[in-house]
Amino acid sequence: MFEQADLLRLIEGDCSPEEAAAIQAWIAVDPKRGELWDELRAVWRITGDTTRAWGIPESLRRLERTKPSLELVAPGRRWWTVSWATPAAAAAIAVLVAGSLIWFFPRGGAPRAYATTHGQLSSLTLPDGSRVLLGVDTRVRVPRDYGGRTRTLDLEGEAYFVVAYDAKRPFIVRTEHGSTQDLGTEFAVRAYREEASVEVVVAEGSVALRGLNGAEPALVTLQRRERAVLDSGGGATVMHDVSLANYLAWTRGALLFDDAPLARVIAQLERWYDLEIETDAALANERVTISLMSRSADEAVKALAQVLNVRATRTGRLVRFVPVHPRH
Amino acid sequence: MSEPSRYAFPSPQSRSAAPSVADPTQHTWESAFQTHYVDLCEYVLRFVGSAAAAEDLVHDLFLRLWDSRARRGGMELTRAYLYVAAKNRALKYLRHRRVATAWIERAARAEPPTASSPEDLYLRRELADAVRRAIAELPARCREVFVLRRHQHLSYNEIAARAGVSLGTVKSQMWRATVLLKEKLAPYLFIL
Repeated sequence: MFEQADLLRLIEGDCSPEEAAAIQAWIAVDPKRGELWDELRAVWRITGDTTRAWGIPESLRRLERTKPSLELVAPGRRWWTVSWATPAAAAAIAVLVAGSLIWFFPRGGAPRAYATTHGQLSSLTLPDGSRVLLGVDTRVRVPRDYGGRTRTLDLEGEAYFVVAYDAKRPFIVRTEHGSTQDLGTEFAVRAYREEASVEVVVAEGSVALRGLNGAEPALVTLQRRERAVLDSGGGATVMHDVSLANYLAWTRGALLFDDAPLARVIAQLERWYDLEIETDAALANERVTISLMSRSADEAVKALAQVLNVRATRTGRLVRFVPVHPRH
Repeated sequence: MSEPSRYAFPSPQSRSAAPSVADPTQHTWESAFQTHYVDLCEYVLRFVGSAAAAEDLVHDLFLRLWDSRARRGGMELTRAYLYVAAKNRALKYLRHRRVATAWIERAARAEPPTASSPEDLYLRRELADAVRRAIAELPARCREVFVLRRHQHLSYNEIAARAGVSLGTVKSQMWRATVLLKEKLAPYLFIL
């Protein structure tokens, strides 16, 4: 419980938001406590100018860095055009982004976080003019000191970056399994928690991939049309001359898979259409080539069932793929 | 006879960008920040009780003002506007955090500090004398702690180190000083 001396902490602002709320609740119980708070605050006010040094220069610097345009592009607003992409599928994307975007704004020097949910894409312009296109079920955290000495942000999920050139402040995407430093460029990073790896595809320019602490020399440098997968053990696999159309199709609201493991296709379908998909063990090693232009969940499930030559049943979010056994 | 033409009329753009001469309370984004940031933090702190939260709320207000500056053309950055906007944000924050309703109602009644008028100056001087006397009359240990905290903005830990006493002693002396001052200054507490 609290005592009268805690009123001083509240007046000085020397508490976390949670403590403050608790002390305020304690005051609210008894009007006498409120009166005492008024009097103590009055003493505070007449015996000095401010309760603390608020640090105008630091605050202004902090604000100047975040100032230019940290805003969410409202769902449904004009989509950006990714330079390599043909301007197609606008209608399909409009359907995708119809959901609401969640914006967290936590307290106390905390970063800003942007998130999309299932079946939702959104874009974000950072203070330095760099742009981020968030894939489905993705979280991007922009630390308060973004743009100070570096431009570092944290990613969980999938995002496409168009980086504004600034040699003095490296642009770094941190993920659970490694960081990607931009070297003048456009690239996509994919690091879904359940995949335990980070994948990077470069559309323009080049990037450097590093391990977790980001300080050691680059594990690998990627050029345009190269793709790397960095696993949780720090091993990197590089593929050359990959199809940007396939790997970056999601930025246009489409899902394209070319000879991809079924598990990967299913994981994406679950994220895009908010489904839970169960498959027969017999299908585990299947590889799939399919193009899904963000149709409804039912259509997507039906298309995949057709390619796999299986039967699909759906109950709410739950989808089951069952092999069709020939009758003889 | 007539002045040379270098005294041109300000263009509409430059007029909206610079603080207006006729109304010194109108500000550009930056001058509004410089002038009002500290007072707004103090004001919001009164509602939220946490310096970190107060700072965040005021920062957020200024970020929003920056984002909407094109639409507004700097016309709304008056003292009155800033205080109303800050108060609304603080109340919204309290409701969002489900702070006790009685506290929010209390906070909602709080008026922004008034800009000082010439008549206040006399009162202020009288008040300043009373405060100086009251502080001088505090027991020595109490006074030392209070002055280090209140006028030099040292942290409790720094005061403990400087005075060579425990943190608990610093806090209890601070509490004692505040209560003694409350009694000595009772007639002055709510005059301004």
